[in-house]
Amino acid sequence: MFRCDQRPASGALIDQTDSVRTTRTLVPALLAGGLVVAACGGDGDGDTTSNSTTSTGTAEATATVDASSSPTTDGLTPSSSNSGGDGTIDGVVFVPGDADTIQAGVDMAAPGEIVLISPGTYEESVDVTTDDITIRGLDRAGVILDGDFALDNGIRALGVSNVAIENLTVQRFVNNGVFWTGVDGYRGSYLTSYLNGEYGIYAFDSVNGRIDNSYASGSAGAGLYVGQCYPCNGLVDSSHAEYNGLGYQGTNSGGDMTVSNSRFNNNRVGIFPNSGSYELCYPQRETVFSDNTIDNNNEGSAPSISFSAEWIGNGIITPGGIGNVIENNAVSDHDRVGIALVPFVERFPNDDLPTESDWLSNCTDAREEPLPEIIPDELVWESFDTVVTGNRVSDSGQADLMVTSIDMPTEDLRNCWSDNVFTTSQPAQIEQLAPCDGEGSGDWSIDAFDIAEWQAERIDLPPALSSMDADIPPPPADLPNMPDAQVVDTD
Amino acid sequence: MKRAGRWLVLALAPLATACAGVAEADLAPDPQRRGPQGRTAQFVVECGRSHYAFDDPIVAPGLPGASHQHQFFGNTQVDADADYEDVTGAVTTCDQPLDTASYWTPTLLDPTGKLVEPHGLTAYYRVGSGIDPAEVEPYPAGLMMVAGDPGADAAQPVEIVAWSCGSGAVRESVPPECPSDSTLRMVVTFPDCWDGQRLNGFGSGAHVRYSDNACPEGFPVAVPQLTVAVDFPPVDPDGLSLSSGSMLTGHADFWNVWDQDKLEREVTACLNRDVVCGVSL
Repeated sequence: MFRCDQRPASGALIDQTDSVRTTRTLVPALLAGGLVVAACGGDGDGDTTSNSTTSTGTAEATATVDASSSPTTDGLTPSSSNSGGDGTIDGVVFVPGDADTIQAGVDMAAPGEIVLISPGTYEESVDVTTDDITIRGLDRAGVILDGDFALDNGIRALGVSNVAIENLTVQRFVNNGVFWTGVDGYRGSYLTSYLNGEYGIYAFDSVNGRIDNSYASGSAGAGLYVGQCYPCNGLVDSSHAEYNGLGYQGTNSGGDMTVSNSRFNNNRVGIFPNSGSYELCYPQRETVFSDNTIDNNNEGSAPSISFSAEWIGNGIITPGGIGNVIENNAVSDHDRVGIALVPFVERFPNDDLPTESDWLSNCTDAREEPLPEIIPDELVWESFDTVVTGNRVSDSGQADLMVTSIDMPTEDLRNCWSDNVFTTSQPAQIEQLAPCDGEGSGDWSIDAFDIAEWQAERIDLPPALSSMDADIPPPPADLPNMPDAQVVDTD
Repeated sequence: MKRAGRWLVLALAPLATACAGVAEADLAPDPQRRGPQGRTAQFVVECGRSHYAFDDPIVAPGLPGASHQHQFFGNTQVDADADYEDVTGAVTTCDQPLDTASYWTPTLLDPTGKLVEPHGLTAYYRVGSGIDPAEVEPYPAGLMMVAGDPGADAAQPVEIVAWSCGSGAVRESVPPECPSDSTLRMVVTFPDCWDGQRLNGFGSGAHVRYSDNACPEGFPVAVPQLTVAVDFPPVDPDGLSLSSGSMLTGHADFWNVWDQDKLEREVTACLNRDVVCGVSL
């Protein structure tokens, strides 16, 4: 590889404000019919969004690769200093070409570089241990990492900073499709995850990241998952999850966390933020769920672990969630409840319940907390302080809106409801009982729901099902490619 | 393979005596390894039960039927006559197909002597408390270990052998009375410091020891701290026994017949980098 001697400072890879990545180090620009690589050597403030083959007036050089050929360095016209003269391009590792496998390409890439993958099926697991790199497929449906139910994870980023994964498909891995763990700065864009056994697109113990324009189906755990982070500073946006155990799961995550503009349908459960001491950083809290479409999450044929299977038939359900905002969602056609605030009963826990003052503790502090001398046999995680407003909820078998509790009077949980369009609720007249903009009044016992009823129904629910054994539709054929995927600027 | 060959020599030695694992209380692992997952680096493998046999390739190699009954998880080819080359690359019952290691424990028997079939085994590979994650090395190929004392007649430290309801953090030295719909779990934690030389050994002469914020003298090589959890269906604890004797004789055995490249990759990627590569509910 021929590399630039000077590179812009890294660390700006994840931009929370834009729907498409905007970085100084690597910016795609679509060029019809050609692959353009803008190389290093610029003045540091060039126009990184140019769609032109012409350089931006800086000292940046460009090189063109015939897009009809394999997007390796074959066909490169080494017209300027970005080429090492040996057919390579600064800041870009081509797979195949520079490396035979994605893992070899990732290992070859230096911080600030991009691994660009040609269409093909790659039967490998990839570990990322280099900061500040981007892994991109040149064709979302055509670049396929296939685990054949024998490999564990598709792409796994481990304890690194600023790793973006873009425009490719991961399928049939035993554990997870795309997985960031212990990462500061992550992004998954235009990803397709299909039939990955546990989680499809998965950020754990990771902060400052986003998942956008992605699709996940066929995972028994959840299609999309952000867990164990506070504050997360995370975003799930413009994505789609269907035929999973849970469409979205957010165990013990929250704080500057948003799930928006996405669709969750035909999962066993649509959206599932929950608390539990089996993993660190409890409780789940402070996540905004807005402007999503959530429908028909009753799908007993979707793969599921047993933990998820008992919650089937709910659109948005927050077992033990605290301080969430659920607003402007369209929620329809659920066998049980459209939007449910419920307790989570955790048997044989790993800690005691956090106090309200503990709710502000970050994950780093939680990691150092000693365990108490006595651990209860059971914890009841109630759902507190959630705002449910402006949602359109319809056609729910049990109730459009619901709240219930176990250890406390439901009216003491400080949840509220306003400006929702709905027909039924448990308890009745829920917006009169606890409006978000004033004092409530009424009888909380009318049509109140006892969650023990669901416990009794568990035996009759569809059982757990592995991804390997599931029969679900393939991903839609029209999932869009990432704009500008074939162009990189390595300035 | 050089290391495997060395084990073969050891395996032919008469090792059926002094078969206790490392159980000294002052060498017990830090109890903080219980509690929420996600607190410390780990990688996790879940394995179904493979087979039962009255075999023990560590304690009674080459002597089929000479052991108390064991339930084997992971590698499907391990028996009393197995050697490293025979079982390397065998089919596994673990969800990680490259975890071809072998894990085995005594069987659980109800008051009538009937075997209680386990649901499965979860193997948690972590960094010992106080050990620098970057210092942890993969087990040598062919390493064998026993944790817990099959001959114990008193309670063993719960940091080494314990029982719990479900996957909770409360640990008891004998099976607790669990709710009628709760699984029962046996948890056994292995030593995490190796002498750097031998692939097998027992009791006071063992080749491995537990760390105590550092590896003890003579056992300088930090290796992953393996905890195995065997889950059983709901069962009344009254009258239960183990095939090795009373309920105090809990123990577990491990033979590193992993795909060694994969094991090294997991140690390097997860433990050395101090990240959580998986959790098990």
